Amino acid sequence: MLRKLLKHEFRATGRIMLPMYLILLVTAVGSNLAGRGMLDGRYHILNILGVLIVTAFGIAICGALLMSFVLMIQRFYKNLLQDEGYLMFTLPASVHQHIWSKLIVSSVWFIVTVLAIIAASLVVAYQGGFLRELLDFLRYFLEGLRKLEVSEAFNGTIYLAEFAVLMFLSLVAFSLQFYAALAAGHSQANHKLLWSVVWFFGIQFALQFAGSLLIIGSNELDVFNRLFSHWDPSPTVAIHVGLLMAIGCVIIYGAIFYAITTFFLKKHLNLE
Amino acid sequence: MPVLECKGLTKRFGRTAALDEVSLTVEPGRIVGLLGPNGSGKTTLIKLANGLLTPDGGYIAVCGTAPGRESHSLVSYLPERTAIPTWMTARQLLDFYGDFYQDFRREAAEEMLDHLGIQPRQAVKQMSKGTREKVQLIMVMSRAAKLYLLDEPIGGVDPATRDYILSTIIGNYNPDAAVVISTHLIADVEKVLDEVIFISQGRVALQSTVDGIREEKGMSVDALFREVFKC
Repeated sequence: MLRKLLKHEFRATGRIMLPMYLILLVTAVGSNLAGRGMLDGRYHILNILGVLIVTAFGIAICGALLMSFVLMIQRFYKNLLQDEGYLMFTLPASVHQHIWSKLIVSSVWFIVTVLAIIAASLVVAYQGGFLRELLDFLRYFLEGLRKLEVSEAFNGTIYLAEFAVLMFLSLVAFSLQFYAALAAGHSQANHKLLWSVVWFFGIQFALQFAGSLLIIGSNELDVFNRLFSHWDPSPTVAIHVGLLMAIGCVIIYGAIFYAITTFFLKKHLNLE
Repeated sequence: MPVLECKGLTKRFGRTAALDEVSLTVEPGRIVGLLGPNGSGKTTLIKLANGLLTPDGGYIAVCGTAPGRESHSLVSYLPERTAIPTWMTARQLLDFYGDFYQDFRREAAEEMLDHLGIQPRQAVKQMSKGTREKVQLIMVMSRAAKLYLLDEPIGGVDPATRDYILSTIIGNYNPDAAVVISTHLIADVEKVLDEVIFISQGRVALQSTVDGIREEKGMSVDALFREVFKC
């Protein structure tokens, strides 16, 4: 059932995101052409046109990023908490499947948007010898990697993987924070959006307060010294531990929002 | 086994009881009118049967199971408002229902859409409000479900559309299933009903067959409704 939900969610969001990427590509090609003589100041009109195209490219980048963010909230709100919710919540699918379909699709669009912006930037930077320069850079980079010791290469790869996981989980937790506030706010009979805003800041405040208490409590009880007094890790290990602890915190953070979201959608759904 | 069963079902919104100790059963093969004035609890009961609300007390079961994922594949629900995504085309809507419901009869839906002159590439947002409601009804009635829960299917539409909606319901429902039609427009639906449930201020005021009312009370359902709910 999740596969079917994903299919229709991609269909619903793709009709907005794919044209955004097309605009990004067109303005990137335009900016590349603008950089090949339009902006050298010989012709005033061409100069203005070139500036406009480059500006449009900048706006397209911001638009794609903004749209993937807006879509993440808007799909959850419109598809589950507005009129379409009557259809969605009476499908033979669980609340968990609904939430995961929204999470997965919005995360995919975030990642694809970042990749599309990188690809568009490469298109803008493309010149006659650009591909050769890019290949040269990759060759030097790979040669550099070969010169590294096995442990350095291994740790570097793991750092990158840990950082990628941290970024992805942060993205998911960030989305869940909005979902939790919207689900809680829409359990109210009236002023649902206003209540959602109140819940958003309420949850934020509660978590920051709990986090502060935890840090103060740990300091008071000297937890860190007691835990790490007999442990003297190398900088390499310390970075791994730091990244893994950050991943753990983000998982807890996201799990709290996930629990709030499912609780309100399962037990206190109150569609208008 | 009843397709819909409630025992002591209670739902409160704040201090107000929208449903108060409601007990009723709906057997298969019956067309049942859930009748009551505005705010009597009809929509709340239908939402509870669909798992869109959680009861505060009592018991509700659809085909022997609590409303949820399993019962959703047995119930075909027409909500009070247009819930189909307006960005979809008619064809995408058919794909959607076909993907999620194994009992969806695509050919029947296509035939009804064709009869209304709706092109497969036409988007729902390009349709009039009345056509959207008809399209939603077509999707709901094209399922071979065990229970059809239709919330105000004829509310807010012209008499010709009412006739179309009622004939679509009668002509397409699974004869082994039960149909529950919630409305306060009694005169229009009376001719298609086997049974009625009068609901007033969150309580069941009466459950009887239509023939029983005519024989025992000597009046139509519409006349009895006006008498029971006289202001």
